[in-house]
Amino acid sequence: MADTLDFQDIQGLIIRGYGNLKAACYILLAISDPHSAKIWLKALVDAITTGQAGPKEQALNVAFTYPGIKKLGLEPAALAMFSDEFIAGIVDPHRSLILGDVEESSPEHWIWGGPDTKSVDMVLLLFALNNQKLSQLYETHAQAFATHGVLEVQKLDTVDLGGKEHFGFNDGISQPVIEGSHRTALPMHTIKAGEFLLGYPNEYGLYTNGPLLKSSMDPDGFLPSDKNGSGNVDLGRNGTYLVFRQLRQDVLGFWQFIDQATKKSDGRSDPTARVALAAHMVGRWPGGAPLVETPDQDNPQLAQANDFTYYHPDPYGFNCPIGAHIRRANPRDSLDPQPGSEQSIAIGKRHRILRRGREYGPPIDATGSTQGHSEMAGDKLTPLSDQDRGLHFICLNANISRQFEFIQHTWINNPHFDELYDDADPIVGAHYADGSTFTIQAKPVRKRLTSLPRFISVVGGAYFFMPGISAVRYLASI
Amino acid sequence: MTHQVALTIMTRIKPGATEDVKQLLKTMSTNVAQNDVIPFGKLSAIHFARLLVLDQSTDLQGAVILPHLVFIGECDAPLDRLLDDLVDLAGEGLDKIYRHCEGYPAEGNVTRSLRLAYLRANMVKPQAYYVNTVGRTVQQILQEAQLRNAIQDFLDRSSQDWSGYSALEVRAKIVAYLRSEQTLNWANHPPAEPGLSFKLKETLHMIAVPLLLLILLPILILALPVWLIFLRMHELSDPTPDIKADPAHIQELAALEDIGAQNQFTALGYIKLGRFRLLTVLGVLMAIDYAVRHIFNKENLAGVKTIHFARWIVIDEQRRAIFASNYDGSLESYMDDFIDKVSWGLNAAFSNGVGYPKTNWLILDGAKDEQAFKDFIRVHQIPTQVWYSAYDHLTALNIANNAKIRLGLSKDMSETEAAEWLRLL
Repeated sequence: MADTLDFQDIQGLIIRGYGNLKAACYILLAISDPHSAKIWLKALVDAITTGQAGPKEQALNVAFTYPGIKKLGLEPAALAMFSDEFIAGIVDPHRSLILGDVEESSPEHWIWGGPDTKSVDMVLLLFALNNQKLSQLYETHAQAFATHGVLEVQKLDTVDLGGKEHFGFNDGISQPVIEGSHRTALPMHTIKAGEFLLGYPNEYGLYTNGPLLKSSMDPDGFLPSDKNGSGNVDLGRNGTYLVFRQLRQDVLGFWQFIDQATKKSDGRSDPTARVALAAHMVGRWPGGAPLVETPDQDNPQLAQANDFTYYHPDPYGFNCPIGAHIRRANPRDSLDPQPGSEQSIAIGKRHRILRRGREYGPPIDATGSTQGHSEMAGDKLTPLSDQDRGLHFICLNANISRQFEFIQHTWINNPHFDELYDDADPIVGAHYADGSTFTIQAKPVRKRLTSLPRFISVVGGAYFFMPGISAVRYLASI
Repeated sequence: MTHQVALTIMTRIKPGATEDVKQLLKTMSTNVAQNDVIPFGKLSAIHFARLLVLDQSTDLQGAVILPHLVFIGECDAPLDRLLDDLVDLAGEGLDKIYRHCEGYPAEGNVTRSLRLAYLRANMVKPQAYYVNTVGRTVQQILQEAQLRNAIQDFLDRSSQDWSGYSALEVRAKIVAYLRSEQTLNWANHPPAEPGLSFKLKETLHMIAVPLLLLILLPILILALPVWLIFLRMHELSDPTPDIKADPAHIQELAALEDIGAQNQFTALGYIKLGRFRLLTVLGVLMAIDYAVRHIFNKENLAGVKTIHFARWIVIDEQRRAIFASNYDGSLESYMDDFIDKVSWGLNAAFSNGVGYPKTNWLILDGAKDEQAFKDFIRVHQIPTQVWYSAYDHLTALNIANNAKIRLGLSKDMSETEAAEWLRLL
C-alpha cells in the first residue's frame, strides 16, 4: 500500500501543471535582508497553492536555491544534507560538461543564473487565467519586495502557444503519474511518489536522503517527523528539487536546416518531406501522434497517444528512429538488460521527471499560429523572426543526479545512446563534433544527416528546492 | 591473433617523493597518447593504461602503508613483447618515473635489461580479470572502426536513393566498393582466433576447476553450514556506516571523468579483519575469475555490456584490494547498472570490504541500498592521474557491432541475412 500523499503540504505545481491557467510568469528573486524577507515569507505561506484542489483562478508556488536557503539561516548540519547537485548548483565545470552547457550554452554567457550574473536566491512562480489577471497578481506581490529585503533579479514571462512549442510540435504529452495522486495510468507511467517527493519511498523502495533536523531545532513543531525512522524532523518531506533551464530555440535555423536537407533534386523545397523529417527527429508528428504507431503520416486520433512501447512494434527503429528525441528522453522498454521486458521498463522508471515548463517569446509565425511553422523555412520570414523565443524548461524530481542529469547526460547528449555512434539528441542535443549525426533507420539501408547544428542553447538556469508548505513556514520562522 | 593480458606493476614510492610523482603524472596527462614520458599511442598492443598513486594510509590495526605507484595496462599478449616495446620506446621515461621508487637502479647504472628486470620484479597478478571479448586485439578494434567509417562514408557519398534496391543489391554495392579499396582487403577474412596453446590452457582450466570441486565436494558440503553461520554472524555484526564522500574529493574525481565515450574507475579499500572475510573474498574472486574466463568472455558481464576491462587485485599482504575498470558512459549510469543488473556479484566481492552497505546471505541487499552504495563507491574511488585509451570514441557495443559488420563480409548471404547485416550500419 502506497503512502497517502499529504496534499495539503505539497506545493500544487508538483501535483498538476495548471493547464487551465494560461498565463504564467516566474520571478527570480535575491534576498538582501534575510530578517525582513522572512517576515514577508511568513505572510506568503498562506498564499502558496497546495496540491489539495486544482486552482480555478490563480496559483502561486515558491522554490529556493541553495544560497537562498543558506541566507535564511538554516543550520549547517541540515544544509549539508541536501543533495550534492543542489549544493554545488547547476553552474559547476563538470556539471556543465555533462549537461552540454558548453560553447554558446556555457554559463558565462547566461542572462541569469551564471557566474557573472546576479545571484538568484528564490523563484516565485505565478499563474493566472489570463495576462491581465497575471499582472494584477504580480503587482500585488511585487509591491512588497522593496520593503521586505527582496530584490527582483528578473521577471521571466511566458506565452501560451496552445500546447505547442516553438518548433511547432505538441509538447508535454507524456508525463509520469505520481502513485497515490488519484490519477490513473498504465503501470509503465505510474511512478512511486518518492521519485518526485522527499519523504516517500522511491522506485527502489527507499527514502531519498534529504535535510533532517533534531526535533529541538523545531520548537514550534512545524515539521513532520522523519518517516524513515531516524527520530528527527524532516525539512524535506513533501518537497522536491526543481530544475529550471531557459532554453533558447533557433526556430528559423531549425526549419532552414530541415528545408536544405529535404530539397528535391531540382532544388525546390518539399513541404511534406520537411515535416516528415522534423517528425522523425522528434518521434511524434506536429499534432502529437507518435511515429512508432503511425510512421507515414500524422493522425489526429493519435494526438494524445502515450500507451505505446518501442521494442515490440519497432525494435530496429524503422518507424521511430532510435535517436529520435522522445525515444531517448523516455526509452520505455527499449534498453538493456532485456529490451521489451518488464525489467527494462522497471529500470526506466528510475529515470523519470515531471515536466512543468512553459514557452516564452513570440511565435515565429506572425499570425500566432503554429500551423504554418514548417512554412517558415527560407522565403516566408516574418518581422518577428529574430526575436528571442524558447522554453522555460522546468522539471521536478527527488534525485537530480539519477533523474534529470542522467536523462540529459546518458540519454539526450550521449552520442552512443542505445548502440548509436555519433548521434546526440537531434532536437535538444549539444551536437559536439562527434555527436552531430542523425541516423534514420530504414530499409534497405539507413539514411543519415551529418553536421547538425545546435538548435537549442541554454541561456539561464538554476537548481531549486521546492519545499513542502510547512517547511516554508519553518524556513520563515528561523 | 592473440588473447589479452593484465599488466600490473606496483612499486613503493621513496619517502617524500609522492608529490614529485604526482607532478610528473600531471604533465603526462595533458597529452596522454603522445606525452614524452610514456607515449602510449606508440605502444600498439595497449588497449587502456593508467598510472595512479596510492597515498600513504593507515591500516585497520594502525600500521602505516607507504605510498605506492601503480601502473596498469590492458594489453595484447605476449607480455614480453609489450615490455620490450615499453623499454625501447620509453626507456628514459621509465627512468623519470621510477627513479622516485624504491629499488630502481641509480642514475648512470640504468641499462635496458635492468629496466626490464625492475618491471618484471614488481609485477602483481590480479585475482580476477574481465576482458569484454577475449582475443579482440587493439589492431582489430581500430581496423574494424575504420571499416565501418569507410562504409558509412561510401553510403553518404553515393547520396543515392536506395529505396528501390533489395538488401542484397545494396550489400553487393558496398562489398564491391570495399574490394576496390586495397587498404581494406583484410576485411574479407574473419579475424584470427587466439593461439592454440592459449585455447588449450583455457579449456583445461574450464574442466579442471569443476573436477577439483567435485573431488572436494564432501569437504565443501561439510564446510558450507559452518561457513554460512560465520557469514551470518559477520553480516549481523559488521558496522555499515553510511559515510558521504567529501565534496572536494568528489570534485577531484569528477574533473577526470566524462571526457570521451569511456571512463576509468579505480577503487581501493581495506578487506575486513580476520581470516573469514579474507578467505571469503579470495574464494569469491576465484569464482569471478572462473566465470569471466569461461562464461562472460564475450561482450557481456552478467548483463552489463558497457565494461571493456575490469580487474580485482589483492595487495599489501592481503590487507587491501584494488578494483580497476574501463567502462562506457557516466559513473551515474555505471553505478545504476551495478545496482540494477549485477548487485549480487558486487555484493559477493565488495561486502568483504570495510564500509560496504549491509548484505544478507552474501549476495542480497548491499548495493540495493542505492544511496549508501553510491556513497561507498565515491568514498573508495581514487583519482587516476594518468589514463589512456587507444579508442576513446568507441563504446563496447560499438566495437561489438563493428566486429559483426566485418564478419558479415566473408559470408554468403540470403536476402534476409543481407537485410539483417545492413541493420548494423
